[in-house]
Amino acid sequence: MVSMQTSSGPSDAQHGLVSRRSVLRAALLSSAFIAAPALLAACAPPTTTVATNKIFRVGWKSDIDTLNPLTTVTTEAVEVQSLIYDTLMAYGLDLKPEPSLAASTVAAGATITYTLRDGVTWHDGTAFTSDDVVYTFDLIAKNALGVNAQYFSDYVSAAAPDAKTVVVTFKRPQAFDPGLVVPIMPKHIWSSQSVDQIQKAANDKPIGTGPFTFKERKQGQSVSVTRNEKWWGDKPAAAGASWTVYTNDDLMAQALKNGEIDIIPQVPPTVFTGLQGETTLTSESLDSFSFHHIGINLSQVPGSKGNPLLLDKGVRQALGYALDRKQIAEIAYAGFASPGGSILTPSLGDFYYEPTGDAVIDNNPEKANALLDAAGYTAKDGDGIRQTKDGKPLAFRIIAISTTSTDVRTAQLFQATAAKVGIKLDFATVDSDTMASTVYNVEAPDWDIFVWGWDSGVNDPCYLLGVPLTSQIGGNNDVFYSNPAYDALYDQQATELDHAKRVAIVMQMQQMFYEDCGYLVAVYIKKLQSYGNAGWANLTAVPGGIIFNFTRDNYLKATPAGS
Amino acid sequence: MTFDLGATDGGAVAAPPRRTSNLRLLWRDRLGRTGLILLAISALMAILGPIVFPFDPAQVGANSASILQPPSLTYWLGTDELGRDVFSEFLAGARISLFVGLMATLISTIIGAGVGVISGYFMGPVDGGLMSMTDFFLVVPALPLMIALGAIFGQNLLIIILVIGFLSWPRTARIVRSQTLSLRQRQYVARAKSLGASDFRIIRKNIAPHVMQLIVANTILVVAGCILAEATLSFIGLGDPDRISWGSMLHFAFVSGAIGRGAWWYFLPPGLGILLVVLAFTLVGHAFERIDNPRLRGSA
Amino acid sequence: MPPLLRRVLVLCASIFAVLTFNFFLFHIIPGDPIRLIARSQRLDPEAVARLRTTYGLDGSLPEQYGKYLSNLAHGDLGYSFSLHENVADIVGRALLNTLILLTVSTLIVVLVGIAIGVFAGSRQGTRSDSTTVVTSLVFWSLPTFWVGMLLVFIFGVWIGGLPISGITTPNAVYGNWFQYISDIGRHLILPTLTLAIVDIAFFVIITRTSLLEVMGEDYMLTARGKGLSRRTMVWKHATRNALLPVVTASVLYISALVAGAIQVEVVFSWPGMGLLMYNSVMARDYPTLEACFLLTSVAVLVANFCADLIYRRLDPRVTVGT
Repeated sequence: MVSMQTSSGPSDAQHGLVSRRSVLRAALLSSAFIAAPALLAACAPPTTTVATNKIFRVGWKSDIDTLNPLTTVTTEAVEVQSLIYDTLMAYGLDLKPEPSLAASTVAAGATITYTLRDGVTWHDGTAFTSDDVVYTFDLIAKNALGVNAQYFSDYVSAAAPDAKTVVVTFKRPQAFDPGLVVPIMPKHIWSSQSVDQIQKAANDKPIGTGPFTFKERKQGQSVSVTRNEKWWGDKPAAAGASWTVYTNDDLMAQALKNGEIDIIPQVPPTVFTGLQGETTLTSESLDSFSFHHIGINLSQVPGSKGNPLLLDKGVRQALGYALDRKQIAEIAYAGFASPGGSILTPSLGDFYYEPTGDAVIDNNPEKANALLDAAGYTAKDGDGIRQTKDGKPLAFRIIAISTTSTDVRTAQLFQATAAKVGIKLDFATVDSDTMASTVYNVEAPDWDIFVWGWDSGVNDPCYLLGVPLTSQIGGNNDVFYSNPAYDALYDQQATELDHAKRVAIVMQMQQMFYEDCGYLVAVYIKKLQSYGNAGWANLTAVPGGIIFNFTRDNYLKATPAGS
Repeated sequence: MTFDLGATDGGAVAAPPRRTSNLRLLWRDRLGRTGLILLAISALMAILGPIVFPFDPAQVGANSASILQPPSLTYWLGTDELGRDVFSEFLAGARISLFVGLMATLISTIIGAGVGVISGYFMGPVDGGLMSMTDFFLVVPALPLMIALGAIFGQNLLIIILVIGFLSWPRTARIVRSQTLSLRQRQYVARAKSLGASDFRIIRKNIAPHVMQLIVANTILVVAGCILAEATLSFIGLGDPDRISWGSMLHFAFVSGAIGRGAWWYFLPPGLGILLVVLAFTLVGHAFERIDNPRLRGSA
Repeated sequence: MPPLLRRVLVLCASIFAVLTFNFFLFHIIPGDPIRLIARSQRLDPEAVARLRTTYGLDGSLPEQYGKYLSNLAHGDLGYSFSLHENVADIVGRALLNTLILLTVSTLIVVLVGIAIGVFAGSRQGTRSDSTTVVTSLVFWSLPTFWVGMLLVFIFGVWIGGLPISGITTPNAVYGNWFQYISDIGRHLILPTLTLAIVDIAFFVIITRTSLLEVMGEDYMLTARGKGLSRRTMVWKHATRNALLPVVTASVLYISALVAGAIQVEVVFSWPGMGLLMYNSVMARDYPTLEACFLLTSVAVLVANFCADLIYRRLDPRVTVGT
C-alpha cells in the first residue's frame, strides 16, 4: 500500500497558471461522454407493448416455493398451482362449491360419486380420465402427502367403474368434500415415480388440466402462465398471468401506481392508507378467513425447552387478559383488523362463536392481576416483574418473523401491556424458516410464545378447527395442544351432516379451546388489496380477497379495462 | 468510508500536543469553527434532548388515525407508524447513534494505536505479521463483513459496537505505525536504549506523546465513519431491535411505506441528523489535520 | 518477471486467507449447520445423515476444510434451501447485475470527480475552490441509502417520471435490443445518481489535494522555468503525477464503492449482489450469504491488485526491482 507522499506545498501564486479553458473543456468533454448515452436511453419510451396489456400482473413479497402440489407449503405456490391444475369442484365467486372437473357430485352416506365432464385434456394433449382421479386420491391418502392429506383420515378407497365415474369410499360420511381442494395430477406423468422421488420432485414444467399453462419461472423473481386455448371451460380474457416478487412494499405500491403491475393482493396497512386516496386505483378492505394469534408452548415432552410456567392455565389466561386486542387492531394494523377471540373467523357465518360477558378474556388488567395473585405469584422484583415462590421470574421469550412487521408491532405492544401486569416478555425476531423449524420442533421445542397467523384453507370450519388436534402434532398443530375431549368433538362434527347439529358441536369446541388459552387470537385481519382501474375490470370483491382466496374465478372473469 | 485530506503518513513529525492552543487554532479555521459549532449542537441534542423531551417507546397512538400524522402543535415532527412522537424519538435516536459511533471509535483507536505502535517499534517479524493482518482487514470490504458478522452473532448493541470497531482499526494502525517507525529512528530513542531503558518506558515517554496528536486527528475522522456504519447497519435491519437510532428510524420509515405516504417528517430528520453529526466530525477532523500540516491550508 | 510473480503469489495467498476466513466464519461459528441448512424441512434421520455427508460435516475439521476447498474448486457454492436453487446460479446472475451498475457508476464518478478536482485545484484560494471543497465535504458526509430514499421520494412519489425499482420493467416485451438496453438504462439513472452524489466528492477532494501538492513540486518550477506552455504544464506534468495518488486512493474507494452499491441496491431493489446479501441476511440463508461475501472479497482483492499494477506502470519513479 503506497502512501501519498508530500513534499513542498503549493503557494498562492499558483492559481493563475492553469488555463481555465482547458480544464473546463476536459470536464465538459468527460461529462458529455457519459451523459449522452444516458440521455439517449432516458428519452426512449418505456417499453410496454400490446402483448403486456393482456397479462394479469400480480405483485407480491414472497416467491413460490415449488410447483409441486404434493410438497408445497406456501400460499403463493397454491395460488399459482390453482390456475395450472383443476379440482373436482371449485369455489365460485359466492364461495360456494361449483362443478369443475366433476360435472356432478352425489354424496350418499359414506360414498361420494363424481361424474366427470367430457372433453378434458391435459396440457400435453393426453386425455383426462377417471384413472387420474383415482391415482391422485390414492397417492395423497395412502402416503399422507401434502397439506390436503388431513382430509383423508377416513379414506378407504377410490374406484373407477368407467372412464367418466369415480366412486370414493370413506369409513364414515364426510361433512367436508375433499374434491373441493385436491388438485388432480396426471397419472401418466407421476405414476412412474416412487413416493420418495415425488417428494423430491421440483415439477419444473407442471402439466395440469387448468385454464392456464405454465410458461416460465425466474427463481426469486417471477412466475408466469399462459392461457390454455384448449381449456374445457369459458376461456379467460387474460392472455396470461404473472406474479412478480418485490422486496419492498412501498416500491411495489409505486409500481402499481405506475401501471407496472395490475394488482397487489396483500397491501400492508400503513401503505394501504396511502393507496386509498388514489383515484386511479380501487382499494378494497375485505373480510377475511385469516387471523393472527399469540401461540403458547403447551408441549409436555421431556425434551421441551418451553417455560413450564406456561402449562399453568391461570398464567395463560392472565396473558389473555393482559392482551389489548383493540390496541393491536388500531395500531399494529392501522385499524384494518377487528379484535380477535375464537379460533374461527366471523366470516365463517353461523359457525362463529362470540364469547360474551364474563366469558370474554381480553384487555382486563385487573382480572389478570387477580388471577396471578391467586395463583401465588405475588412476589415482585425491582422492575415490578412477578416471581414464583422460589424466586423465578415470570419472564417468557416471544418470537415473531422479522419481515412480518404487523407481527413485530403486535409483539412490541404485547410487551408493554404484559409488563403492566408484571409479566416480562423478551422479544426477538427470526426469519420465517427459523420460525417454522423452531416452533414445529416436536422433540425439543425451544420457544415459549410466538406471534404468527393462520389463513383457513377452505370455506369450512374443519380446517381451522383441525389445527389444534392431537393428531396434528407433527403437522399443523403449532402449540402442541392435546385435548381428547376436543379431538372427540372434532371427529363428531367431521361426520355430522345435519347443519344445526354440527353448529352446536362446533360452538362447544370453540368455547373449550378459547378458555384453554393455547391460542390468544389477537385479531381477525382484513384482506387489503388494490388494483389499477386502467388495467382490468370486472373484478368482484369477495370476502377473503379478489385473488389469493379460495376462489380463482376473478382470474377467469377479469376483462381488460375499456374493452 | 472516511478518507484523508492528505494524512501525514511518513511525513514530518508533529509538535508535542498543546491542547488549548489547538482548540483556538481550530476555532480560527473557518471550517473548523463550523464543525465545532455543529459538534456542540449534536452534543446538546444527544445529552440534553432525551432529558427535556423523553421518548417512551410504549407510548403508542390512541387509534389508527394517529399513525403517520404530519407535524402539529402537539407533535412537532409528526408521528411515526405506531403513532409515536417523532421529535422525541429523533432525540432518543441521537443518543444511540452518537453512543455507538463513539464507543466503536474507542475500541478501534485502542486496537489500532496499540497494533501500530507495537508494529512500528519492534519492527521485524512482529511488524510483518501484524501488518499482514492489518492489510488483510484493510482490503476485505467492510460493509459485507459487518453484515455477515451481524447476521451470525446477532443483533444487540454490544455486538454492533464490537463489529464496527473491529473493522475500523486497520487504518489507524497503518498511520500510527508509520509515525512510530520514523520516531524510532530518532537519536534520543537510540540513546535511551543504550542507557538501558525498557521498551515499555521508551514507548511511554518518547513515542506515545508524539503520536497522540496524530491519533486524535485520525480518531475524529473515524467517529464519522463509525456513525455512518451504524446508520447503514441499522437501515439494513441489523440494528438492535430494542433501541431507537437514526438508522433504525430510517429502516422503519422505509419498510412501513412512509415514503409512499409522503411522510417527510419521518424520513427527513433522521437523515439530516446523520448528515449534521458526520459533517461536524469531518470538518473538525480535517481542520485538525490542516493545523498539523500547514501545507494543506489556503482555501478556507 | 520475479517481482510480478511475487505480487501474484501475494494475491493468491490473500485469496487463500479469505477462503479460510470465510470457512471459519460460516462453518465453525454459527452452531449446528445442519439445522441451518435444512431449514424447516422435516427431515428423517437418514436424510440428515445424507446431508452431513454431502456437506462433509461428518468428518474432522481438516476433512471438512478439504471438502470445502474441493467443492469451491468445482464451482460448487452450495445449495440454498430458502431459494431452492444452486447458490452458484443465483450469485452468477446477481454478480452480472451488480457489475453493470458498478461499471457505469464508477466511470461517471471517477471522470467527473477528477475533472472537478482538477478544476478546484487549479483555482486554489478562490471562491470556487472553497465552495467546491465545502460542498464535497457535505456530500461525502451524506448516508448513501438516505440519498437514495430522497430520490425515490422525489422521482417516484412527488414528481415521478423515473423508474425507482428493479433493473427492467416487469413483464415487458421488447421489439429489439435497443429497447432492452434503454430500459435498463432508464432503471440505471437513479441508482447511479445516488452513488454519484456521494462518491464524486471523494475523488474531487483526493484529486484536488494531490494536484496542489504536485504543483508545488520542484520539477514544476523547473518546467515553468523552461518556458513550457500552461497547458503542457498542467496536462503533461501536473495532472499525470497527481493522478498517481488518486489511483492509490481508489483502492480505499473500492471498499466505499462496495458499501455504497449494497445500499443503493437495497433502496432501489436492484437485483445485484448487494440486494442478494440483504435478502440472505433477512432469511438467514447462510450458504448464499457466504458465497456473496466470498465473491465480494475476492473481487476487491483482484481489483486492488490491478490498481497496484496500474500504479506501478504509471509512476516513473518506481523501478522494476521494487
